[in-house]
Amino acid sequence: MSITAPDAGLATAWDTTVDDAPVALSARHGLLAVAGASGMVWVLDAATGAGIDTFELPGGALSVALAPDARHAAATGPTGYALWRREDSRTTVRDTGAWSSAAVWANHERVAIASGRRAHVLTPDGDERWATEPAASTVTDLAWLRQGRRLAIAAYGAVRCHERHTPKPVATYPYIGSHLALAVAPTGRWICSGNQDASIHIWRTRDASELTMSGYPGKVSRLAFDDTGFWLAADGAPDVTVWDFSGKGPAGTAPRSLRCHQNVTALAWRPGGDGHLASGGHDGTVAVWPATAGRPGSRLSPARTLDGDAAVASLAWAGPELLVAAYRDGSVRAHQLPSGTTL
Amino acid sequence: MTAQPPDEPRDERTPVTVLTGFLGSGKTTLLNRILTEQHGLRVAVIENEFGEVGVDDALVLDAKEEIFEMNNGCICCTVRGDLIRILGALMRRRETFDHILIETTGLADPAPVAQTFFMDDEIAAQLRLDAIVTLVDAAHVLQHLDEVKPEGVENEAVEQIAFADRIVLNKIDLVDETTIAEVTARIRAINSGVQIIPAQHAAVDLPRVLDVGAFDLERVLADDPAFLTETEHQHDTTVTSVGIDLTGELDEKRLNRWLGTLLRTKGVDIFRSKGILALAGAPRQYVFQGVHMLLDGEFGRDWREGEERRNRLVFIGRNLDRDALERGFADCLATAGAAA
Repeated sequence: MSITAPDAGLATAWDTTVDDAPVALSARHGLLAVAGASGMVWVLDAATGAGIDTFELPGGALSVALAPDARHAAATGPTGYALWRREDSRTTVRDTGAWSSAAVWANHERVAIASGRRAHVLTPDGDERWATEPAASTVTDLAWLRQGRRLAIAAYGAVRCHERHTPKPVATYPYIGSHLALAVAPTGRWICSGNQDASIHIWRTRDASELTMSGYPGKVSRLAFDDTGFWLAADGAPDVTVWDFSGKGPAGTAPRSLRCHQNVTALAWRPGGDGHLASGGHDGTVAVWPATAGRPGSRLSPARTLDGDAAVASLAWAGPELLVAAYRDGSVRAHQLPSGTTL
Repeated sequence: MTAQPPDEPRDERTPVTVLTGFLGSGKTTLLNRILTEQHGLRVAVIENEFGEVGVDDALVLDAKEEIFEMNNGCICCTVRGDLIRILGALMRRRETFDHILIETTGLADPAPVAQTFFMDDEIAAQLRLDAIVTLVDAAHVLQHLDEVKPEGVENEAVEQIAFADRIVLNKIDLVDETTIAEVTARIRAINSGVQIIPAQHAAVDLPRVLDVGAFDLERVLADDPAFLTETEHQHDTTVTSVGIDLTGELDEKRLNRWLGTLLRTKGVDIFRSKGILALAGAPRQYVFQGVHMLLDGEFGRDWREGEERRNRLVFIGRNLDRDALERGFADCLATAGAAA
């Protein structure tokens, strides 16, 4: 007797198409921003998919981040960045010529933007408050710690932490290699970087003790902590790996592995800390997982899977009940989960 | 009726050409020719000095040379972080490109550029390094080749010639026949098999430098009869080529051990290696090519009925010991194993 098929799909809440290949999604406070590779950003109503506004970053886009209150957004790209204001749809474009990999909001009043080898901390309208000194290479990722009082930047050779208004780092976490992605536990206890050399490097912030998870088949370019800070999901293999960071951390433990995609292209934890993870693949599949179930080392099965027509470009949760997927062919689809806590 | 598998499976990956050469050798001129000539190809260009070229039809991206070492400290595993980033972003765009060109700075070391295509899976899956094309200024190259570098510093001109799959010998209108002959001999002393294309104002037949499949060994050997030609060393040069041509079938285990040890211990000095091999028991040719310690191999076409099982390979590098290489390789023959 079966009640529900374990691999049942999800109801589609809405479905739209943008005229570009999406590269990034950001969902905050009822809005959804979709950045296209050639630089157009579509701002949509997350509940309905209805268009609200668009803005453009000439030179192309790599990422987009809505402010927590969704009154502003920052888009970053290969030749600069752009800031958008919802109130009057004013867009400020900074054509710096420098590679801007990411923007991260500390709160609704401050955003850190990677620009070449530095990170700039700006007001939502683009006034610079302070900037870091140049790192060893182009900055690849950013993360805020301590409620927006400390900024971590990843670049070649190290993750460096800066206190507000101090260009020089207050703490340097060296590791020779190219750090591609940065994740900081919401508890502030761990700093993790995904690396070109197919490893995850981990520092405990308390004493800077180090740990390396090596042996991935490929580079690790996506890392994400869940809301509790106890679970870290990573790509770098056909399986998504989920490491347990509770207690003393993951040293000596085995990760749970999640196999569904040929190549992992997107990871997004469901808000709420229930251990539910969405992942997407180059083969167009999207899976939703009870990613912390089972025992360490076990291989988990997805609770839900969806098949798309093109590679998954990005995933974002617009609240715990709505999962948005953007595909390389331009389609953007929102899927409704039956409740805020179950899968 | 049975479907015949194609002799050589078609590589769907986008070809990438790397242009190297000293400042003033004509890289920008060649780039502009490639971009303006009516070839109907959609080209993306990654250049190191922004704004030098600019054509409506092409996407031009700026690169800042960022050389990354891996944590294992092996200098052969250095890659170009800027290229990984830019190529990654290119592959995420909706439009597809028929060809990608990478222009390096005059003093760039070609190794990290080439190694990037081996070391990054995402790039290797979607792009293939088609050829390293080096522009040589016929009027000034001798002076660059003769430049004495401090201990441990590589002469970039020698390096760029050693790595090249094609050499455009540019500005031949500015020199006499004797100089052309001398420059050609010097190039051959370093890289004996390389195809040398003489040119004025970087005017070359584009198919000779674009999509040549120089990293496709089948074509290297078909195109370059001089691949393994011995050259008289007219100059005392430490960077040379060693070509080996040996009949017989190889014992795969011994070959792996020998090649593995060789590249692990001498990989710093071996810039390039390429070959077509006959493995005992394999119906297809085994084709490999490498950059320093990194090696990539796959089975190529079937050996034809009655075709002689012949192994042809070449090493280009510093302080190569021809006798040791020949002996080591001969020991990999399956018959050598039977005799031992």
